[in-house]
Amino acid sequence: MSEKSTRRQFIEGSCRVLGLVTVGGAAGLLTQRTSANAVYQVDPFKCTTCDLCRTSCVLSHSAVKAVNDFEKCGYCMLCPAYMDVLSKPDERGIPTGKVCPQDALKRRVVGKVDAEDPNNNYYEYVVDEALCDGCGKCVKACMAPAGNGSLRLEIRYSRCVECNECAIQIACPDRAIVRVATPGMAPAGPAR
Amino acid sequence: MRNGWNLESARTRYLCLLLLVLAALASGVLSAQYQKKPPDFGGTYSFPTPTHPEPRADWVRTLDVAMLAAGLGLAAWIVLNRRSRDGTVLLSIGAIAYFGFYRKGCICPIGAIQNVTLSLADSRYMISFGVIAFFFLPLVATLLFGRVFCGGVCPLGAIQDLVLLRPVKVPEKLDRALGWLPYVYLGLAVWFAGWGLHLTLGTWQIQMGRRFLICEWDPFIGLFRVSGPFHMLAIGVAFIAGGMFVGRPYCRWLCPYGGLLAILSRVSWKKVEITPGKETDCGLCAGACPFGAIQHLRAEQASCLACARCYMSCPQELERRGIPAGDAALIQVQRP
Amino acid sequence: MEPTDRETTPVSVRDRIWKAWLPGVAAVGALAALVAGSLRLRPTPRAAPPRPQPAGTPGPAGQAAAPAQPVRGLARTYAQSAVIGGAASPDRFLRSLTGIAFGAAELVYVLGDDEIRAFESRGIRVRSWRAPEHAGCLAAGPDGRVYVGSPDRVDIYDAGGAHVTGFTAGEKDKPADVTAVAVFGTDILVADASARIVRRFGLDGTPRGLIGNQNKTGGFILPNRSLDVGVDGRGVVYATDTGRHQVTAWALDGTPLGKFGKFGMSAPEDFVGCCNPVNLALTPDGKVVTGEKMVARVKVYEPDGTLLAVIGPEHFDPSTTHIHLAVDSRGRILAADPVRREVKIFSLNQSPQERDRP
Repeated sequence: MSEKSTRRQFIEGSCRVLGLVTVGGAAGLLTQRTSANAVYQVDPFKCTTCDLCRTSCVLSHSAVKAVNDFEKCGYCMLCPAYMDVLSKPDERGIPTGKVCPQDALKRRVVGKVDAEDPNNNYYEYVVDEALCDGCGKCVKACMAPAGNGSLRLEIRYSRCVECNECAIQIACPDRAIVRVATPGMAPAGPAR
Repeated sequence: MRNGWNLESARTRYLCLLLLVLAALASGVLSAQYQKKPPDFGGTYSFPTPTHPEPRADWVRTLDVAMLAAGLGLAAWIVLNRRSRDGTVLLSIGAIAYFGFYRKGCICPIGAIQNVTLSLADSRYMISFGVIAFFFLPLVATLLFGRVFCGGVCPLGAIQDLVLLRPVKVPEKLDRALGWLPYVYLGLAVWFAGWGLHLTLGTWQIQMGRRFLICEWDPFIGLFRVSGPFHMLAIGVAFIAGGMFVGRPYCRWLCPYGGLLAILSRVSWKKVEITPGKETDCGLCAGACPFGAIQHLRAEQASCLACARCYMSCPQELERRGIPAGDAALIQVQRP
Repeated sequence: MEPTDRETTPVSVRDRIWKAWLPGVAAVGALAALVAGSLRLRPTPRAAPPRPQPAGTPGPAGQAAAPAQPVRGLARTYAQSAVIGGAASPDRFLRSLTGIAFGAAELVYVLGDDEIRAFESRGIRVRSWRAPEHAGCLAAGPDGRVYVGSPDRVDIYDAGGAHVTGFTAGEKDKPADVTAVAVFGTDILVADASARIVRRFGLDGTPRGLIGNQNKTGGFILPNRSLDVGVDGRGVVYATDTGRHQVTAWALDGTPLGKFGKFGMSAPEDFVGCCNPVNLALTPDGKVVTGEKMVARVKVYEPDGTLLAVIGPEHFDPSTTHIHLAVDSRGRILAADPVRREVKIFSLNQSPQERDRP
């Protein structure tokens, strides 16, 4: 009886040691090729603003929002992302319709202001994140050649729950959601 | 290389990274096209600083790993040393609060199977040290102490454990048969995480890229995030409802990680032992165990989920603690 | 309960099959069917809405605004007569095409692939030489000299391609962004998009004044950060004010002489989008040729703004952000498409009766 238990204990013990060694070895092997933490981000050069960012996120209010790159923005009065250039113009010829269905793109006049002729003014465009749902209509309207391409869709990490596998990545038909090791920055690429 | 895991120089690392990326951007742009400058608007306008919220800082991920390690150690101590059901319950509540609702259930060791598989299958896949720790720490803990991860740390298990009201005994043969499912699920999860499904049968073709099945079909993640597709929320509610009457259905019959832990815990160093050497075959512990893990007067390590209920129903155990043995049945009724 | 109950009592094979294997197989099969069924239901990612055009094509307005048929009832029509540097040509441009000018001896100078190439009227390359780094525009004088604009300077080459001189185009603390160059007599006009002004220099680079600052904003409004300038035979300077959708005319001393054009998406004489016209050139008979983006087309106007001709978007790439323009001595319009990297030459149709033929 004791012989049996000793043998059993020996087998158990050696299995345990083998298990620990395997686990430790595998962990070590993987640690060899570990890298910085990876997060998901939209690659603006591949994105075609298909609207799936708005509907595929596991959150009901998607973590993808439009962001304006102020260095690239033209500050146009007739911003094609702000106003729907094909809509009915008012008496001054300025279109009255808006592109954003949620009215999330806000603008204010900056610089030296001419109150009489809006054509002489520059406007700063900012996306209101609380209203934006990531549909990408403004991004599409701002793409070259119509605009400067300063608006882009971006995953906002203040909202993203950082799923192990991004549901938007699964749905994206253009493989535009990529894992980047650099936290917070969209991948660099060719100028639009 | 243990890149990027040096806490003290996290800020320096971010700065270096930022400089590198800026340099890359600058060089890329200069070589390609002259960079246009924004116009001067006159007046007093200054460019707003664009906000790019950072993802969770590295120290938070370290904290997650530390909490996991602490939880495992605490669970081992509570279940094996203190042998307290109350302590296990408290620890479970804490695990649900932290790993479940605060961290929204992600990343979990169950899902980490997929990350590890993918990084072994494809060397380009970046896996972080935290994910590795999340996968291997419970395995080590199981080799040492049995399935204490299941007992007090796993939020998915804890939710099911805490809603258990009147456990129904599942026929043993059915239990055994269903016990194969976790391995089927494990195989499918590994297959899909590493390689995806590419099948051609005559004119019928399935092309599916790599998917993280465990994450997609996690019944409880919708509850932790309080949002999600309807069918997942419905499955989650169904598991909770079922879990009120059947002990831990996901843990016993679906969890792929549980399948791994079941194998490893057979050779664990410290086991859940109720009253070794003093068994009276009263059957109270076996009756108390909702998972049918007590066979032949012993807790079967493979299926014991370290919930510590059996201690509370054993007259010998209670006597050891100074609680009159006659109250054993009373306690058993009060604390299923 | 006795432990012996749980010992292995003899179990019949049938019992084993029914109570152990069958439920197990059924459970496994059910799970596999569930997984396979759910996966097959979504073999591809959720059906995306109709795939939009890749980045670069005009936004939602562009497609609708493009006229489907040639605009009728205009005084002039142009037809494509030749192509220089296209894909089939031995002198095709491989990487870039950023400027065009018409100069002495009937030579067409094209800036692309980091060099300046001179073509004669049949499209045969006569000579070429290396352009300065990041050169983006050029002009050609009647004496055969070529004036090449780089972001902050202008370089002057003689007819043989030898570098004569060069000068910095900006001011001391305000580096210029030269997007166009024009020559009239002894004046070199440099379009500085950074300062939103046209700078006037002498042939040796001495500053002689500014053009375009005598308006409310002290300069042009350039959301697309690009200014084009041209000068007609009488010394009237034309410049594109893209933010205001106007072509503006100035005297050489900076006096404003007039302007025409406005924003509009439907009328053909209006300029579409956020910032147009992006390019312009002058014909020998004093007409103004404009190039637009978003609806990529070339139009010819009288100096008072009356529309004379439209060269439709079907000739140009819809994603282009510029159409560089030049006009030769016979009035043929040379339109350079930087995306397709080719120069299309359009000749004026002589007989007005042909204009209504489809």
